[in-house]
Amino acid sequence: MTPPRPYTPRVARKFIGAYRPRIDALEKASGKVQFVDDITLKSRFPGMLYAKVMRSPYAHARIKSIDASLAEQLPGVKAVLTCKDPEVSSLKPTSAGWTDGVDTVSYERMMWRHFRDRRVLGDRACWATDEVGAVVAAESEQIAEEALRLIKVEWEVLPFVLDPMEAMKPGAPVIHPEIAPRNILPKDAVGGSDVFVDKGDVDKGFARAEVVIEAVSVHHNATQASLDNWCCLVDWKSDKLTVMSNSYEADQTRMHISQMLGLPINKVRVISSYVGGQFGRGDTGDQPFFLFTALLSKKTGRPVKFRHSRRESFHDSRQPAIYTGKAGAKKDGTITSMYFKSIGNSGAYADHTMFALKFAPTEITEVALAHIPNVRMESYGVYTNKLPACMMRGVGNSQFNLIFGHVVDMLAEKLGMDPIDLALKNFGHEWGGLPDKSLKAVLGEGARRIGWRAKRHKPGAGPVYDRVKKRGVGFSFHPAWHAEWQEARRGEIRVRITVNPDCSVVLDAPTVETGTGSNTCNVLGCAEALGFLGIGPGDIVWPHTVDTETSLKDCVQTDSAVSYLQSEVVAHAAREVKRRLLEKAAALIKAKPEDLDIAGGRVYRKAAPAKGMTVRDIFRKGDMLPVVVEMGRPPNAEKTGVPYIANFAEVEVDTSTGRTQVLKLVVLNDCGTVMYASGAEAQQIGGQVMGLGEALTEEIIYDEATGVPLNFNWIDYKIATMADMPDIDPALLEVWRGAGEYGACGIGEGTLTCTPRAVLNAVYNAIGVRIDDIPVKPEKVLKALGKA
Amino acid sequence: MATKPGKQARETKKTPIKIKINGQWHEFEPGRDIVPEMTLSYLLREKLGFTGLKVACDEGACGACTVLMDGKAVLSCMKLAAEAHGHEILTIEGLPEDDPVIRAFVAQCEPGYGTALQCGFCTPGFVMAAKGLLNENPKPTTGEIKEGLSGNICRCGCYSGIARAVLHACEENKGGKPRSFGSMHLPIGPSVRLPASTSRPKGRGKP
Ligand code: FES
Ligand code: FES
Repeated sequence: MTPPRPYTPRVARKFIGAYRPRIDALEKASGKVQFVDDITLKSRFPGMLYAKVMRSPYAHARIKSIDASLAEQLPGVKAVLTCKDPEVSSLKPTSAGWTDGVDTVSYERMMWRHFRDRRVLGDRACWATDEVGAVVAAESEQIAEEALRLIKVEWEVLPFVLDPMEAMKPGAPVIHPEIAPRNILPKDAVGGSDVFVDKGDVDKGFARAEVVIEAVSVHHNATQASLDNWCCLVDWKSDKLTVMSNSYEADQTRMHISQMLGLPINKVRVISSYVGGQFGRGDTGDQPFFLFTALLSKKTGRPVKFRHSRRESFHDSRQPAIYTGKAGAKKDGTITSMYFKSIGNSGAYADHTMFALKFAPTEITEVALAHIPNVRMESYGVYTNKLPACMMRGVGNSQFNLIFGHVVDMLAEKLGMDPIDLALKNFGHEWGGLPDKSLKAVLGEGARRIGWRAKRHKPGAGPVYDRVKKRGVGFSFHPAWHAEWQEARRGEIRVRITVNPDCSVVLDAPTVETGTGSNTCNVLGCAEALGFLGIGPGDIVWPHTVDTETSLKDCVQTDSAVSYLQSEVVAHAAREVKRRLLEKAAALIKAKPEDLDIAGGRVYRKAAPAKGMTVRDIFRKGDMLPVVVEMGRPPNAEKTGVPYIANFAEVEVDTSTGRTQVLKLVVLNDCGTVMYASGAEAQQIGGQVMGLGEALTEEIIYDEATGVPLNFNWIDYKIATMADMPDIDPALLEVWRGAGEYGACGIGEGTLTCTPRAVLNAVYNAIGVRIDDIPVKPEKVLKALGKA
Repeated sequence: MATKPGKQARETKKTPIKIKINGQWHEFEPGRDIVPEMTLSYLLREKLGFTGLKVACDEGACGACTVLMDGKAVLSCMKLAAEAHGHEILTIEGLPEDDPVIRAFVAQCEPGYGTALQCGFCTPGFVMAAKGLLNENPKPTTGEIKEGLSGNICRCGCYSGIARAVLHACEENKGGKPRSFGSMHLPIGPSVRLPASTSRPKGRGKP
């Protein structure tokens, strides 16, 4: 094991940047935290019913007729709704990609309004497991399941297609003919045309190059696998609808329900408590199951609970993408031209496919590729009959990094250069020169920590261990997105600070607590900003329940951005708290506010700092009213450059069995400012479970003959456990500086973006043959080695 | 559920199922309180309100539902409730808040290892699995901890922090100095606010 190396903060602060436990550590470690499944027990909602939805056994099929009369007669069944019922069939077509999660928008302004391809409980199944046909509310889950079995369905089974290349061919089964007659998602307003980046003259750039390489990378269907299965309870009484759910976007859930069911916004109340991990799952709060659960509650007049089983929780995935990349350079390593093309497998519904395929790579062009004179990017999202793809931790960036890191590694090899030197020579960002300071820092630190100089050798030419094992090192890097300016589209972030007469504080910085650690960041930031009160984090209460009826609008847990976005506003609100306290004090002691100051919980005259009065006394002798400051600010849009992230990997490949073992991972994030060191490290280390899974073991497997997914469980869908994890060395850096008080950026997603490519490059370094697609399973290695 | 034996005997001839849960014996009527196919996790969560354990997979693949049975870690989703007859079950609710394992999970912030929990959904399962491991092996090595806790999944990926916490917990077991929370300990937040119409869970296992 590497001895841990704590980071050294650039600016010493009292609370921000600390190594310390999370604010909710005791509540969580002692099992007292209540998740939605815990809150919605029948003992708490005695009248509660359980909903179960019919799922398509076919990858592609249409319901010709449906007869639920037997199900309705089953004792314990309280309501059945089918796709033929007018309250269901009259619902507007929708998309589970209303927003990219950063803001609440209306139906008309939904992000992917060109792809409203989902019917709530429709009669068309677009993948095997699709929620279609009928939904039942019963006294128990077992009765509901039994009732589903009694529903007679006459299916028209349609031909299906799983492979996007096949789906694009003429004559392929068409999945959403009204939207995409050839399965290729039409050009859209958000992502732009199919060629969505065309800078300079790419062809001339290649002509001018002295060395050109071409590469392919295939990213597969991985899933979020949050432990906390989707769950909601909907109680629709007279004209008021209450939802408790583990959606991580309360405000958007409310908008979705209000607009889809035609209720005034204030008649929909959404309550979200702790959520057991989300990782981008289900994009936002616009899942169709909220709606059919609501309709069942309306029909029965009782609260209805809907919870996915583990199998059903395989509900969303990362977009698989087939990327090709081409790069040309001069002999000295100056890149003259780059071209990337992707074919994305959107699965059954478009959701956020084009965000991953176009939006994320566009951002990269603006930053990392800013100094490359000629760049073209082209992308096609394709419908197939697979699990729909949505946002997943590091949306689009993971896929792009797989090809980007590939191209860099290959080009460097062909040029006879160290890929670190090639990277520093070419990649930076729009507002700065080369080499980029942040990139230099992460690559330099990573190289030191992995032992790059000593361990990197010619591909396949390193020492052999135990006669059959070969080792190698590799890395990949990526610009960290979600610096504050990139969040500009998020709109205003609101917080409220209440300082009570005893100087205890309530910090309303609403966000659904999914485990990211933003709650602790906020409390540390608040303690820091209210330092003049002489208080610490222990004096601050952070209400964790988001309730759209009583809370401010929640700042959505996307983009890894909540921790610093809210803390920035808290810092401003704290200044206003101070101003109000000075006014209070000035009135009481008959002075001008500008002649006073506060420090360490004491108010004093600037002219005579020794004398003064405690803030508590100001309250006690005054009106005893708490000071309440509510403030909203849009994210700071100042352009400050881009911080970098990188992963370095050391692997050992057994050339006789094909098994790849990762020995060590170094995770590097330039954070600008580390807001909460233990939480940031937990994200860095934690991201490797997902990154390593995508690299080596995680993959959804389909029966090619039927299109039925075969491994919707955690026995066959292999998530790394403690025993599978290598030595992980997290490195937090503060090189770049962003806008505002702290100048921080989000890191959660960026911890795993580079992991699969770092592993693949290390595998190549070990065995000297490239594997183009993940996960790197033993059979692929053996095949690459010509042994299978 | 915790019905009085006398009253129950008059109503049915069936032998009651007796389970000691968190130090308290409970009697259940077979067929009424406990049906044959009922899992132990269902009984504990849905009927008795011990929601510390979580059911994330319901098929023995993740460890979130781990409880102790006679001191051994078991997956409560893979045990039938009736199988617990005559046995002693400990759920996380049965541990004191200053339990060394809980304390160590809370306190873990040693640089280089992250925290021992993030979303906290897997945490009660890990805490109970660690209790079971330490019961069998009070001084595990890091390798033994990795092996011993490899039946549990943490999707947030806090494995390094968890392993570290377990190592520290056995330092306490060995009579080493307990790690103080000191200034690192922050008060827990307010409990979940429920709509006014909801009642508290019943049958909490109190006499
Ligand atoms: S819920 Fe029991 S092992 Fe997963
Ligand atoms: S802390 Fe989230 S799953 Fe372990």
